[in-house]
Amino acid sequence: MKKVLIVLLAVLFVVSAFSFKAIMVTDTGGLGDKSFNDGTWAGIQRAVKELGVEAKVIQSYEQADYISNLSKAAEEVQKEPDGGIVYAVGFMMTDALFQVAQQYPDVYFAGIDIAPPSEAVPPNVITFLFKEQESAFLVGYLAAATTRVGKVGFIGGIPIPPVERFRYGFETGVKVYNDLHGTNVTIIKGYTNHFSDPKKGKDLALSQFAEGVDIIFHASGACGNGVIEAAKEKMIALVGSEDLSKVIEYAFEKGGYFAMGVDVDQDYMAPGVVLASAMKGVDTASYMGVMWAYNGEWTPGVHTLGLAENGVRMSPMKYTKGLVSNRTLAELEYLVTMIKGGTLVVPDTEESLNSFRTPKIEFPF
Amino acid sequence: MNKKVMAILVPVVSVLIALAISTVIILLIGKNPIDAYGALIKGSFGSKQAIADTVIKTTPLILTGLAVGFGFRAGVFNIGAEGQMVMGALIAATFASNFGSLPPLLAIPLTILIAMSVGAGYAAIAGFLKAKTGAHEVVTTIMLNWIATYFASYMVTGPLKVGSGTPKSPEISDSCQLPVLMKVGAIEMSAGIIIAIIAAIFMYILLNKTTTGYEVKAVGFNPYAAEYGGISVGKNIVLAMAISGALAGLAGATELMGVHHRFLGELSGGKGFDGISIALIGQNNPIGIIFAAFLIGALRTGSNEMQFIGVPKHMVMIIQGIVIFLVAADRIVRTIMIRKRVEK
Repeated sequence: MKKVLIVLLAVLFVVSAFSFKAIMVTDTGGLGDKSFNDGTWAGIQRAVKELGVEAKVIQSYEQADYISNLSKAAEEVQKEPDGGIVYAVGFMMTDALFQVAQQYPDVYFAGIDIAPPSEAVPPNVITFLFKEQESAFLVGYLAAATTRVGKVGFIGGIPIPPVERFRYGFETGVKVYNDLHGTNVTIIKGYTNHFSDPKKGKDLALSQFAEGVDIIFHASGACGNGVIEAAKEKMIALVGSEDLSKVIEYAFEKGGYFAMGVDVDQDYMAPGVVLASAMKGVDTASYMGVMWAYNGEWTPGVHTLGLAENGVRMSPMKYTKGLVSNRTLAELEYLVTMIKGGTLVVPDTEESLNSFRTPKIEFPF
Repeated sequence: MNKKVMAILVPVVSVLIALAISTVIILLIGKNPIDAYGALIKGSFGSKQAIADTVIKTTPLILTGLAVGFGFRAGVFNIGAEGQMVMGALIAATFASNFGSLPPLLAIPLTILIAMSVGAGYAAIAGFLKAKTGAHEVVTTIMLNWIATYFASYMVTGPLKVGSGTPKSPEISDSCQLPVLMKVGAIEMSAGIIIAIIAAIFMYILLNKTTTGYEVKAVGFNPYAAEYGGISVGKNIVLAMAISGALAGLAGATELMGVHHRFLGELSGGKGFDGISIALIGQNNPIGIIFAAFLIGALRTGSNEMQFIGVPKHMVMIIQGIVIFLVAADRIVRTIMIRKRVEK
């Protein structure tokens, strides 16, 4: 009994002797957004499991909370003997992050989707950006390969840089497919000017479907739930059943209406109807940030994650893989290696999109 | 029991009942209520930073509470404090970034005046529509809210946009910024709270000691009787909306000049709507509104600390919701209190 007690005490001592804290401050979206707040938290949870750090979350009620919540988190971290890291999630927190980080030079800060407002990044700050265009490129290519009417749609939220990068990638994907296969798939574009109103997404999706598109890619946060719902409604009306195998069977024979998801794997939200999702690895980023701070491998500055860094990717198409020809899948696979290798650079600005010319691509099959 | 005592007792008892119910909920989610309330108090008053935060949060809430409360007293339901606050702050921000050459003694009152006039003018639209056409102010102010929100969002992502990151307008000139009373880390507590309290005193005097206040109240009580008594109903509806809007615009001004120093995409953060609940809890009384705003401000500030011990921020929304419910349905509270007295 005594031995057990000693062992227990020893374990307790070891556990309590080390305490590294990761505190995440959400934006006003908060947890449960099925997008970057949840994604970041998932990454931090992974760090809790694998590295044994302690994690906490503070959800912000309003924009005025950002500074005080980040300060509070920094103070909490300062109390820990081994320090810790504070996460600011979402580009709306940009200014608050840099203001607070200056006040607490001994605390690590990390920002998700945050670009530094000036060139000089303080040594205690890292921020993560994503090459959204690379995953969007893949779904764009897939959309062009899958459409039966030669017309696809794009729905964006508020045209902020990450949303626009999704669009550049999507447009490039369609263009490259057209150039390689001699098709003429066109794109209809629209914005909801909102990130949290599914009704707006649904209305816009229905109007794009009415204009004749059969696949819509959205990059519009929670508005996208409406886009997916619109596609699902239209599809069920065609098939006459919600059953996955019937939907797939119908889609394989005659096509139908599809949506494409964003940020996380949204394929499950309407199996068979969500063709694929352009994923953005906020969880990878948040895990990496904690790990660097924890292991002392801290490299301050901006980290841009793309396909090569496993920061973005296309969803594995759990339900819809059967709808896509093996050749298209192989082509996508090949394009991924080209992007990773740097031989194909997907544009990330309006200018580079306009001047983009499809390079000579020869598939080895 | 006399009416005045009741007016104080109902909100106080409501808060106590709300805390009791929340205690049960906190127990249900498996946390210790004493720890939770301890964190709540520590988070709102436990340190200089906490106190500064509480005051910062309370300031705009007092003003929007006054805005809506004044409207209620005058018989208009101003749901548009949100939009009036946004418009006031937005237009003031546009001007105030060019006031660098003016001395603060001139620049500060001028910026406040702009925000208040814009708020007043924007609210007066709804007042005018009601007086002229009978369009209900609830509907028109809600519509005006959306116009203000989208206009502001257009301005900060378009013509007024500066820098990357958060959509925002340029910083206002130093001379327009309210003096800082207390600075803790990155948190600055400005003189906005003094402005808010002055506004409350002003509203008290206006309502209780002036002819205008009397007329506005008379129209609120009974427009037909007021008209019979020779008071112009139309004029007073427009006036009541304008004063209400001016107070909301002032809330925008204190946020602009004391907290953010620029117009941000989400500057109002729903505080215009919070004004409705605060006016309700404060029983439309200026002094009551100060306390109600302070209560909500402290709850919100403390809720951030409460999250550290694992109680979600939604707990304070529950508390707030129950308080509002009980104050609005004050019959319930009165019945409970009277029963208690009878039993004794």
